[in-house]
Amino acid sequence: MSDLKNILSNSNSIDEQLFQKYLAGIASAEERFLVENQMAEDTMVNEAIEGLQNFKDPLLAQNYVAQLNSQLQKQIGKRKKRSFNRQIKEQSWTIIAIIVVLTISLLAYFTIHLLHHPLH
Amino acid sequence: MLQKNNLENISDNELLEKFKLDQDSQWLGILLQRYTLLLLGVCMKYLRNEEAAKDAVQQVFLKAITALPKTNVEYLKSWLYTIARNHCLMQLRDKTKWVTISTEADIQDNSFFEPFDANKEQTILILEKALLDLNPPQKTCVSLFYLEKKSYQEIVALTGFSLLQVKSYIQNGKRNLKTIVIQKLQQL
Repeated sequence: MSDLKNILSNSNSIDEQLFQKYLAGIASAEERFLVENQMAEDTMVNEAIEGLQNFKDPLLAQNYVAQLNSQLQKQIGKRKKRSFNRQIKEQSWTIIAIIVVLTISLLAYFTIHLLHHPLH
Repeated sequence: MLQKNNLENISDNELLEKFKLDQDSQWLGILLQRYTLLLLGVCMKYLRNEEAAKDAVQQVFLKAITALPKTNVEYLKSWLYTIARNHCLMQLRDKTKWVTISTEADIQDNSFFEPFDANKEQTILILEKALLDLNPPQKTCVSLFYLEKKSYQEIVALTGFSLLQVKSYIQNGKRNLKTIVIQKLQQL
């Protein structure tokens, strides 16, 4: 009766390859049980598998996943670039401010120096 | 550069923490990619159109990328599921005007916590007795599925129930068993 433990277990790990095998109907009895056990305990997995079974061609689902992941990476890349540009923009103002302060300091130094040691 | 194997061992919450710390969007990319297949399946289940499902997943990703930096998410999986489901239901509502939108609370029946130790001998004994308290269809389906490791299709063939009935009996049976076990453990 140790299998009773399965009823109370919660397995949240996602194994895409396992799901793909299940959907293609080539999963072993043990793998099939793993997937169906997750379906029984997780509404999202259950609905996802039911939805994926509606694809006319299981390969199309795999292609879509690859496309979506590639688009996601592009979006993330754009976001990172925007963030980097923003940082550069913010930092450039800091650098300008430092240069302005240094210039004013130098001018002030030379002005004071000239006042104390006037040129002959 | 992080190795793929290393990333597979990092939990969702750890990746979220890393993102919160350095705000590097690559962590979000890794996280969201884990759910692409599931999200595509969920959107397909509701929209029943392959292209529409793909577009819906893109929208879910966009929402997630925008919202995650500002939101404190405890369970990413259920959070994404809620967003995907509500997005699809909104689309269906726009077409049919009758679907009600669910909130996160009422669809989180897939508990992500363990209120008890399933390995305890006492729990197993209670569970064994509780199984007998289930109604006959639930008891049959739960026993065939969990104890005899039969597939949904095999249970359909053995019992004569429809696939939907089998899934429902297993899910409800499991939920009932958990409730009974929690009650009995509290009484001890």
